[in-house]
Amino acid sequence: MRFFVFLFFVILFSEGFINLPEPLPEEFYGNTLIDRVSTSNNVKAVVFPHWIHRIKFTCRVCHFEMEFSMEKNTTEISCAKNKEGEFCGTCHNGKTSFAITEENCARCHTGDIYLFKDKYLAFKNSIKLKEKEKINWDLLMEKKIIQPKTYLNINPSKDMEFDKTLELEAEFHIIPPAIFSHKTHRKWLDCNNCHPDIFNIKRKGTHFLMSEILNKKYCGYCHTTVAFPMNECKRCHPKIKKNYF
Amino acid sequence: MNKKLFFVLVPLFFLLLSFQAGVKKKKVSPEDYGKSIINNFSQKAGMMPVLFNHWSHRAKFTCRLCHVDIGFAMKNNETGIKAQDNMEGKYCGACHNGKYEFNGKRVFEACSKDKNSPNCINCHISTNAVKNSENFKKFASEMPKDAFGNEIDWEKAEEQGIIKLIDKIEGFTLHERPKFKAPQNFDLNAKVEGLPEIIFSHKKHTNWMGCEGCHPEIFIGVKKGLTTYSMADIFQGKYCGACHNSVAFPLVNCQKCHIKEDIK
Repeated sequence: MRFFVFLFFVILFSEGFINLPEPLPEEFYGNTLIDRVSTSNNVKAVVFPHWIHRIKFTCRVCHFEMEFSMEKNTTEISCAKNKEGEFCGTCHNGKTSFAITEENCARCHTGDIYLFKDKYLAFKNSIKLKEKEKINWDLLMEKKIIQPKTYLNINPSKDMEFDKTLELEAEFHIIPPAIFSHKTHRKWLDCNNCHPDIFNIKRKGTHFLMSEILNKKYCGYCHTTVAFPMNECKRCHPKIKKNYF
Repeated sequence: MNKKLFFVLVPLFFLLLSFQAGVKKKKVSPEDYGKSIINNFSQKAGMMPVLFNHWSHRAKFTCRLCHVDIGFAMKNNETGIKAQDNMEGKYCGACHNGKYEFNGKRVFEACSKDKNSPNCINCHISTNAVKNSENFKKFASEMPKDAFGNEIDWEKAEEQGIIKLIDKIEGFTLHERPKFKAPQNFDLNAKVEGLPEIIFSHKKHTNWMGCEGCHPEIFIGVKKGLTTYSMADIFQGKYCGACHNSVAFPLVNCQKCHIKEDIK
């Protein structure tokens, strides 16, 4: 019998029910190490800081218009393609931002995700945040302190307008519901970033558990790596009394 | 016994959970959008599967010509094309017969009894991806741009006369297109409140598809409201999704359909 109880807990752990990943410290949060072919070609891996880029562009620009996949190392980025003006080269061409030349190699190929701390603190300073306050990107955008671009090549005649707020009931009754705002997400993302792959569009059609979110599915697809991390309980479940983690 | 069963079922339940969706699929690159790999009989006959590029064909012909007159199914591998068919002038052989001329150039002959014919590898390929990509880039650079799919605005290209579509071929097209005016644009209400309505233009569709391309198989009714469908159906490749998921501009382009005001 004891063995079975043990087994039960092993299953719980392996399925991530009690698995709250410790997010990176805020100054490194969202830094991504891209190493598809770099180290096999004797170059250091590329470090991509999401935070620097999201000051200027919404998620939509890179992950929708420019076809960067949201899964690390699955986009076929190569030096040649970048130089032709695809992927990173769309902006890193010497006009919009620094070009991909030999002297600039080391600016991205650093191999270390614990970088840009000074830059981060300087940015925080410039937007007058205290040391212990975390950046609320959404608020910054609302107050127009940052104005990231929504469209790069194509300007549709009109934005897609859909601002419905959803109340998502929690699996356990003691947990207050999560409030999902299409309006907030639409500012950063395109419909297709989430629909229909991550969330299908049937009404109440997608059921998911917190354990799955913690395993980087559904909301966790962005909210464990780039968007605000999962330990800020209150931001989704506003009626929770405090952040427990 | 019951307890044992319980401990077998619980892990099974969690295993099932872990197979659910919730992650994102990878996007198809522009040159691969609309690419079909046809492999009904090829590999069994010791040939490479056939790679069919929609882009190079839709630059010259309407969809209707192949999918209605010549009779290609719209689902991959459903037509069951045989080499013999092509040699008899059916399917691919309708144009690829060694006699048909396009722009003063003779179109190569598809399929022959001779397995070593240099023409085989024009279609039965898997290795010339590089050449295909080069051809595509050259072609796409001369076309009006769009964001998704092939990243070519096919509709505009046709409208501006950059591409001229052939709509008939001898032996297959038996009569002229019926000369009646395309029905007017109409709105389709989105099922979710607050979502912009869809404006459907018959005129834009009939250019490529005629009537028979969609009616009565994909959309039964010619009367509005007779066929009901949801976006979920469309994402599964039904209704609009029969073309707009694989060849025509993809479903990611929300605003291209969900617009209420600005259509002429």
